[in-house]
Amino acid sequence: MAVELSSKMQEFVKEVFPAFIGTSRKDGSVEQVPVWFEFADGSFWINGGTNRGWFKHLQRDPRITLLLVDPKQMFRWAQVQGRMVNWAEDPGGEHINHLSHRYFGRDYQNPRTGRIKIEIEPLRVTGSIDGWG
Amino acid sequence: MAGVKPQPVLSPQVQRLAALRILMVVATKRADGSVLLNPVWFELADGYIWVNSNTRRSWPKHLQRDKDMTLLLMDPEEPDRYAQIRGRLAEVIPDPRHEFIDRLARRYTGKQFRELEPGEERITLKIEPLAATGDLI
Repeated sequence: MAVELSSKMQEFVKEVFPAFIGTSRKDGSVEQVPVWFEFADGSFWINGGTNRGWFKHLQRDPRITLLLVDPKQMFRWAQVQGRMVNWAEDPGGEHINHLSHRYFGRDYQNPRTGRIKIEIEPLRVTGSIDGWG
Repeated sequence: MAGVKPQPVLSPQVQRLAALRILMVVATKRADGSVLLNPVWFELADGYIWVNSNTRRSWPKHLQRDKDMTLLLMDPEEPDRYAQIRGRLAEVIPDPRHEFIDRLARRYTGKQFRELEPGEERITLKIEPLAATGDLI
């Protein structure tokens, strides 16, 4: 069941830095990549191309882990165990453009076609933001 | 081939990234198959990646069970520059006098590590990099 983020976490996820995501390959190993994210309406949202390895992994096993770390203060971090609950095409790249504005304050510079947006439900939050649990 | 020096697994670009005082993310798997991600201090030396942990943490236990892991390095100044490294645990070395964690603490903070908690035991994990992918290959 989805969890609600604490008020400290709700503030933390407004900060602007990439999230690290971890997904499981078929052979059981983990793929890790940095991605843009935002937290809205109780879910984490990321964006990718349908050809990305991690998206294929999520279609097979929807479990995904996000690690959020303040790059300036490494002791401020949170790990979110989550699950992909939804994905949809991003026609016209509206969502990736929205993320580009969150991160760089400008329009997305790359092609906006063939993109999807992915909704991740948080199931468990650990790390230093909420105190060591 | 005799006399031919093997190419290091990590390219000069990745080695330069590893020389920065950035964190490394270690990915391991829980017994149920879910992914655990942890930010850690590290050092690249002698062709190996060296990290240190409290023996009570989950991720070093996972590594001692599975040996294989995925590591990620990213330059926060340029997030497009990152390297994903597949590694294998080569050796676990007790750090009873916390010399190695002090060394890492000095690399990152300029100071010795904090006082150990009662009963806290530290270990150093020596990791062999097997391959690197990402925008820094």
